[in-house]
Amino acid sequence: MKKSFLMGVAVAALFAGAASAADLKFAPGQDSKFNWKSYDEFKAAHADLKGQPLTIFGPWRGEDEAFFMSVLAYFTEATGIEAKYSSSENYEQQIVIDTQAGSPPNIAVLPQPGLLADLASKGYLTPLGDENSKWIKDNYGAGDSWVGYGTYKGKDGKEAFYAFPYKADVKSLVWYVPENFEEAGYKIPTTMEELHALTDQIVKDGGVPWCIGLGSGGATGWPATDWVEDIMLRTQPPEAYDKWTTNELKFTDPAVIAAIDEFGKFAKNEKYVDGGVAAVASTDFRDSPKGLFAVPPKCYMHHQASFIPSFFPEGTKLGQDADFFYMPTFASHPELGKPVLGAGTLVSITKDSKAARAFIDFLKTPIAHEVWMAQSSFLTPYKGVGTEAYANPQMKKEGEILTSATTFRFDGSDLMPGKIGAGAFWTGMVDFVGGKSAQDAAGEIQSAWDGIK
Amino acid sequence: MLSQIVSALAVVVVAVFACSAYFYFSNKILDLALPVKDGDIRAASRNLNRRALVRPWLFVGPALFLLIVYLVYPVVATFILSFYDRAGEQFVGVANYKWALGDREFRQSIFNNILWLAVVPAACTFFGLVIAVMTDRIWWGNIAKSIVFMPMAISFVGASVIWKFIYEYRGGNDVQIGLLNAIVQTFGGTPEVWISVPFWNNFFLMVILIWIQTGFAMVILSAALRGIPEETIEAAVIDGANGWQIFWRIMVPQVWGSIAVVWTTITILVLKVFDIVLTMTNGQWQSMVLANLMFNWLFRGGGDSGRSAVIAIIIMLAVTPIMVWNVRRANRELKGH
Repeated sequence: MKKSFLMGVAVAALFAGAASAADLKFAPGQDSKFNWKSYDEFKAAHADLKGQPLTIFGPWRGEDEAFFMSVLAYFTEATGIEAKYSSSENYEQQIVIDTQAGSPPNIAVLPQPGLLADLASKGYLTPLGDENSKWIKDNYGAGDSWVGYGTYKGKDGKEAFYAFPYKADVKSLVWYVPENFEEAGYKIPTTMEELHALTDQIVKDGGVPWCIGLGSGGATGWPATDWVEDIMLRTQPPEAYDKWTTNELKFTDPAVIAAIDEFGKFAKNEKYVDGGVAAVASTDFRDSPKGLFAVPPKCYMHHQASFIPSFFPEGTKLGQDADFFYMPTFASHPELGKPVLGAGTLVSITKDSKAARAFIDFLKTPIAHEVWMAQSSFLTPYKGVGTEAYANPQMKKEGEILTSATTFRFDGSDLMPGKIGAGAFWTGMVDFVGGKSAQDAAGEIQSAWDGIK
Repeated sequence: MLSQIVSALAVVVVAVFACSAYFYFSNKILDLALPVKDGDIRAASRNLNRRALVRPWLFVGPALFLLIVYLVYPVVATFILSFYDRAGEQFVGVANYKWALGDREFRQSIFNNILWLAVVPAACTFFGLVIAVMTDRIWWGNIAKSIVFMPMAISFVGASVIWKFIYEYRGGNDVQIGLLNAIVQTFGGTPEVWISVPFWNNFFLMVILIWIQTGFAMVILSAALRGIPEETIEAAVIDGANGWQIFWRIMVPQVWGSIAVVWTTITILVLKVFDIVLTMTNGQWQSMVLANLMFNWLFRGGGDSGRSAVIAIIIMLAVTPIMVWNVRRANRELKGH
């Protein structure tokens, strides 16, 4: 059922480019949980762009691609712009190749502010203007943070707003299967100390507490960086976190090494992880959560961002078959509050055109968010959307974490320079899990960072 | 599909036509520019000489032009780029080279590359030669040869994916679906994550290239072995040489030239090895090689054209002596040595 539905979306999206009156997922004006007014207004304001080409390059593949295509269908329907979306497994490399080769897409969507800052510094991005940055500041939860994550120095050395955040993920989540917890009589831990106790308890009961998988092809290692970042936010003040992402606070700092070691307490304990330590680095992150759903369960908990239900077994009902709890904070650090680690994709213009500007305007309409929200795997910090549109109560809960966030921190590895955040940090974590000490692994990441200064 | 075939055919036809037209008309123009008239014999013979001087260049010209555009220019540009900063704008002198010497990952890559160089060409040539000799003697030799040759038809990435399944590891008490681990488990051993064992994982990756390239070595050497005059072997048999002696004293010296060709060709290939490492480990677990390092510096996270240019230059410098030696030897052979 789900498959045929997806196929339908994909097919509809395929034809959306060719025939402008293609099927839209939700008929405009019908369902009242959508903000159709915004769609009609956008349509009226951009009627003069019919037939113009627009190329979009992004990281969304598979299921997400189908969802994005369903959103894009509304854009094409409203404007008549012939939008084409493409992606690549190695999108970080591909966008560098495309921009340097002088044949960039009109719009590049990337989840890495560090990489975007790099592209901006080489003059490959077009500033979006103060009007857009002000809009983000006013309409997004923790808007200042978001504006900051889209503001970089250009080729001229001047700071400008280059990247429009669209689609966010909440990372500080631990996934579990409520049924398994009930059967074993486990309670949701509210502090990190309780989480440690629960982990030990599960081992004592003969179970395996965690499923951890760092495998991701050429990007192997990134899931571990999320762990370390989450722990950094729970042991250090947010200012220290910010300094860490710019290397003012060195990787070899005791605070960072302690955070890596804290991750090691989970990942480097033979009894704590499904398949043993050797399986951690080699298991694909997409396969890793499947252990939660095995009978009997291969593991009880899985630390991963809000996007992971896309990789749960087919037919998994969120809230019923799988649920999440907030990655707890240390009772010994009450002063740090409840920090939220997140990430998101940022939309920038790599080749300016009227159609590209229209696409950025489209992202400001609630409908561009709601259509995806209603289908799954999409969160937004946009306060102007109807949260009723979320596909399920779990996502609504996550979405509200974002819109009500006051301190929100972006995924640290995505803020670091690409060579570190999308390279040395990954490799360092893989080496760490492979047997290196936190000291040595951190030392190597730091020396890589020293090397690019 | 049909439209692709049609357009490919059209391109071929147009290209062939354009080439013939170029040669036909350029010669026509040359003939017109340097006329050979009956009247003035001296001028005619002078023009005839000049024509003979120019004509080869007309034929070589297009190839030479393309060679300069696609080979010489990039090499020079890369060399210049290696003295500039990451954006290719600021001159930084030899800073990038200094960085390379001090970089741990770079040294790791050099070490791994040397390891590859030491093992793969030798192994391919050895297996190729042994298989070529052995399959000559058995009735199902041709079938065996076809099977050994078959991996040549598979792309490097395709072969890596196949071998990924051979090295596949499943954690805990899961059934091992990887062939190697399944074998290890059958004999009572503990399954390993083969591609993440530092140092040794290099060898597991090399096996893939050996698997692909042995067929190439076998075909060339098999042809060379066929070229050995029967008389020399017969004479050796009459003189009482055993199989081992015939192989080492008679056959190997006579196919020495082909062995060198196979060896150097695979050596150059190994210096450029990239796809296998990218697909299997992407250089993690200390399996980085130069080509992948260059790729990572160029394209990952915004890129650094200066440092990647340095690595490219070093790969080129490593390949050049082997190329020169190979070409020289080929020239010598052509002259009949």
